Formats: sequence, structure tokens, C-alpha cells
Amino acid sequence: MDNRRGLQILNNDWAGPALICLASIIVISVLQPSFLSPFNILVLLSAIAVNMVIALGQLVIIGIGQMNLALGTLGGLVGVCFVGAIEVWGVPTPLAIMMGLGIGALAGMVNGAIIARTGISAFIITLASLQIFKGINLGITKAQPFYGVPDIVKQFGNTAVIGPLPWLILPMLITALGLWYLFRCLRIGRYILAVGGNRQAAELSGIDTVGTVIWAHAISGVLAATAGMMLVARLQIGQPTIGDDWLISSFAAPVIGGASLSGGHVSIAGTFFGVVIIAIITQALVLFSIDPFVVQIVLGGLILWAVGINRFREWRFAKMEAAGVRP
Amino acid sequence: MTMVNSEAAPQKTSAEDYRRSSASLQVLLSNEFGLLTLIIVAATVFAATLPSFTSPFSLFTLSRQIGIDTMIGLSMMAVIVSGGLDLSVGAIGTSAAMAFGFFAERLGISLILCVPAALVFGAMLGGINGWVIVRSGVHSFIITLASLSIFFGVMIYLTKAEAFRNLPLEVTAFGRMKAFGPVSVLLVTTLGVCGGLLVLYRLTRLGREMLAAGANPRAAELSGVPVGRTIIACHMLTGALAAAAGLMLTARTGAAVPSMAGQLGQDWLLPAFLAPVLGGTLLTGGRVSVIGTLLGATFVTVTTSGLLLMRVSEFWVQAVLGFMLLAAVLIDRARHTILRARGMV
Repeated sequence: MDNRRGLQILNNDWAGPALICLASIIVISVLQPSFLSPFNILVLLSAIAVNMVIALGQLVIIGIGQMNLALGTLGGLVGVCFVGAIEVWGVPTPLAIMMGLGIGALAGMVNGAIIARTGISAFIITLASLQIFKGINLGITKAQPFYGVPDIVKQFGNTAVIGPLPWLILPMLITALGLWYLFRCLRIGRYILAVGGNRQAAELSGIDTVGTVIWAHAISGVLAATAGMMLVARLQIGQPTIGDDWLISSFAAPVIGGASLSGGHVSIAGTFFGVVIIAIITQALVLFSIDPFVVQIVLGGLILWAVGINRFREWRFAKMEAAGVRP
Repeated sequence: MTMVNSEAAPQKTSAEDYRRSSASLQVLLSNEFGLLTLIIVAATVFAATLPSFTSPFSLFTLSRQIGIDTMIGLSMMAVIVSGGLDLSVGAIGTSAAMAFGFFAERLGISLILCVPAALVFGAMLGGINGWVIVRSGVHSFIITLASLSIFFGVMIYLTKAEAFRNLPLEVTAFGRMKAFGPVSVLLVTTLGVCGGLLVLYRLTRLGREMLAAGANPRAAELSGVPVGRTIIACHMLTGALAAAAGLMLTARTGAAVPSMAGQLGQDWLLPAFLAPVLGGTLLTGGRVSVIGTLLGATFVTVTTSGLLLMRVSEFWVQAVLGFMLLAAVLIDRARHTILRARGMV
């Protein structure tokens, strides 16, 4: 009985990535003891916090069986609007944060509404909005950063709450727990997964699929906006290039965490461990002073490896089901 | 990525009656005709308001840009045919151009061998994509997302992010050469490739098999098309065309630069999709329009250079391109709705 439960835990989405995290932490800290220094942990956790929010923004859209290419440029646009509003218009910081989240939600809703109403693939609509957000971003900033980040925002992005825990962990925890609650307990969360699993069936069982798609994209937009503003806090300037490099990592983390790109299934814990694996590997390459370009190669390799593992698991489950064993 | 494929369900009822009366309307509603009208209108407006638009130099750079953008569009079109996509075209194009630079500058190999070698290299990278996609059965989006990262990372690692700037003089000369009048030889090259692709899709068995595999893989498999091999061939063609676009950019710049397609080659993504989508190539596969892709790229280039000559900021032009893609797909959808309402599809 105990043995079987242990095996069941290993069948979870997040078990594999969690084991890899643990193993790589042990190996790296043995080889390089400074890896576990409080400062290094602080840096690592800050990176994990931002990348987790980015990955969650993509995870919601993966759950509904689509993809959001515009996630990064929306985050960048909100980042510069946030700092720009404070610097140019003198908007108080809390109001600027609300405005940033509002822009994210609105932009996401427009994306979702166009996709759901026209039935055109999310890929092509978000490719268009990627370009539009980037153009507006560069048009506003003329490719120059805004420097007027308030001190309180800078402190939020660069100081610790307690020990090696950075303040940036806070928005990550709120969004991750919020999404977990959404998918677990709220109707809209179940609707998103139902539409992602089988849109026709969801439609026939009376779910408002158009509304659900708009909701999912609005949530993704809010998460992109949150991540954009978190990066502003961490970098201490409103860089127009924020978000340029989110595309690959935003898909890599959920895929490593076991998300199936056909939709209908998400794993927040798995995504978290995916983010941690990417952060650890990136850090390790820096610690062992390996060429930073290798990160790209490793990231691509990780996606392929994760896709391979996911396919293998599907194949094994199919085989077990065929043999009459409930996985 | 669901998409309603209105082409797939032709209505047979009273099609004969409609055909005669609706033929002219069909032509008027076709992408190619619409694009041609738009190009003529845009070019006339720009030529009338901007004297510099019709200067020989401006026409030369315009024709060169049309040649390059069309080639980028064709490379994506070749894989969209199969119902897939390739995010790594920019990475493949840059890698092939850098390989070309390495062969020509470091190894000093004759250009007659370097050019085909770079094209084969591009086709090989595309072939790797295709092979992994077919063997794993995973959607091309995620596989090419991974391979774009790997190709670009390996290329930067091997070249140490340094450009090849001492290429043979013939490379730069080719980029400046005019075929006739102010028309760049690069555009003529692209037109030749368009001709070749028209022959491929219209007349050859491989081309028809590519279209069949894209329209309905299962039906194609049942009727004896080797779908897996055909999809790999589509990806190889994409790789070779992306390499050709990379070589053309190298000829224009006179150097093989690792950042020619932006960070990770992502700058090619929009022109690559914009031209075929404007031209009426279906993203679900199975339908192709080579001429439409050419006209689509022409329209985009004419509009972009006109706006830049009007001193619109380069940054806002980027936003315009995004709106153009959005408008193109929305108009396309509206067109299908009209055609279906009249029972003409």
C-alpha cells in the first residue's frame, strides 16, 4: 500500500522536475559551495520569482489550448508605461501599478475577444499584437529607457524580506496561489481547462467558450503586466527591451513541468520546478564561467528533452490503460 | 490553434449556376487582385506626394527589399503548406549566412561552391526540424521553438558573435548589381525562385503531395502519399529558402553579421508570416499562393518605405505592420463569410 502511494507520487507531473532540481542543487553545491551563499540564493530567488510569473502567464493560455506570443512585448509595454506615468505625469506609484495591471487586462481581453469571435488562430493574432505592442513601446520611449523609478519600487525589487527571501517572492506567491485556487475551486478555472480539453464538448455542455477565452487572455495579460513591473523593480529602470527574451523561457518552464500543449491540463507545481531548473542551470553556467550563449543551447535542449519525456509518459499511460491498469 | 477551414467544405449545390455569374466576383474578391489594387493605390499616392519615392536609388533599394522580404515569406510559406510552421527561419537564415561567411572567408572556397553549400546547410537544418517533428509527433511550434534556440546558440558559440566582414568582392558587387533599369538583381533572383516554386506546386508530384499532406494528412496517407517524408521535404525547402534569404541579406550588407535577423532571428518572424498570410496562404495547410506571397511582400515593402520617406518614426511603422497583419486576417475572414453566404466557396 505504502509502496503504491510512493509510486503514485512519482507519477505526478512535478515529481520528475522536482527530483532533477534536488539532484542539481546537491551536485552544484558540492562542486561550488558559494552556490548556497545567502546572497546567491537571494539572486536566484529573485530570478525565479519573475520567471515564474512569466511562465504562469503562458500556462493559462496553454491550459486553454492556445499560445500567447505577445506575452513578452505586453510585459515590456506595461513596464515602460508604468515608469513613464510616474516620471512624466507624476502619477502616484499605487495608481501607476493599478494602471499597469489595467493595461495588461485590457490588452489581453482585446486579444482574447478577437481570437474567440473570429476563430482565427491565436498564433497569428498574438503575432500581430506582439508587433503592435512593441511598436507602441518603441514609439513612446524612442528606444530610450525611463529612469524615474521611485525608490520604494527599487527597494522592492532589490531587498530581502527576511534572510535570503526577496520581496519579489510576494507577487509570485500571490499569483501562483491565486491561479492554483482559480484552477482548483473557481468555475472559470474549470471552464478554461474544459475549453482547452475539448472546445466542442465544452460548447455543447453550455459553457460560454467566447467568454472563457477572453477571461484566460485577460488573466494572462495581468500576469504579463505583473512580471513587466517586477522586472522594472529589479532592473531599477524602465527598459524598452523588457520582454524581448520571454518567448522561449515562457514555454520552456510549463513544458518541462509536464504541461501538454494541446490544452486542458496544467500543473502549477510542475511549472514552478521547470522555472527553478532553468534558473539553476543558468546560474550554474555563470558560476562555472561557461560561455553565456550556451544557455540558449541548453534551454532548447531542455525543451526537446521535456517533450520527449512527456511523449514517453503518454505512451506508457496508453500502454497501461490498454493492459487494463489504471495509471 | 483551432481554425475553421471554410475551403475544406465546398458546396456542390447549384455550383454550376453560380459559377458563371460569380466568376468575376471571385476574381474581384481574390487576395491577389485585392493586393495588386492596394499596391497600385499605395505606390501612386506615394509617387504623387513624395518626389524621392520614384528616384532611381529609391526604386533600387525598394526592389532589393522586395526581393529579400519575398524570399523570407516564401520560406515560411513552404512549411505552412504542410499545416505546420517554423519559428526558426531567422535562426536558420543567419546560421546559413554565417556558414557561407566561414566557407568563403576562412576557408577561401570558391563562391560557386559556397553558395550551394550554404543552401544545402540550410536545407539540412530544416531537415533536422522536419525529422524531429515527424518522429516525435509533437507540434512544429514547440519543436522549432527549441531548435531556434539551439541553432542560434550554437551559431553564436562557434562564431563568437563576430561578423565575417572580408568576404570576396563579388558578394558586395552582387548586392549592388542592377538587372535592368533600377531593378536589383536580388529581386530577379527571387522572381526566378517564385517561378521554380510555381512549377513545383503546379506540375510536380512532390509539390502536389506537399499540398495533399497539408490539406488532410490521413487522407493523403491512405491514398499512398508518404506523409512523413513529404513533411520533412517541406521543412528542407523552408530551410533552403531561409538560407537563400540569409545569403541575399549578406550580399546587401557585404558582410555576414550574426545579428542580421535580430536576437535569435526573431525579427524575421513578422515578415515571414505577413507575406504569405496577406497573399492568402491558409495557415491550416493545403493551399498555397506563390504570387500572393510575392504581392504581399511587395505591398508591405512599398508601404513601409513610403511611410519612412514620409518621416514616420521607424518605431511606429513597426506598430503599423502589426495592424496590417491583424487587418489582413480579419479581411480574409470577412471575405470567406461573404463567399460562403453567396454559396460560392
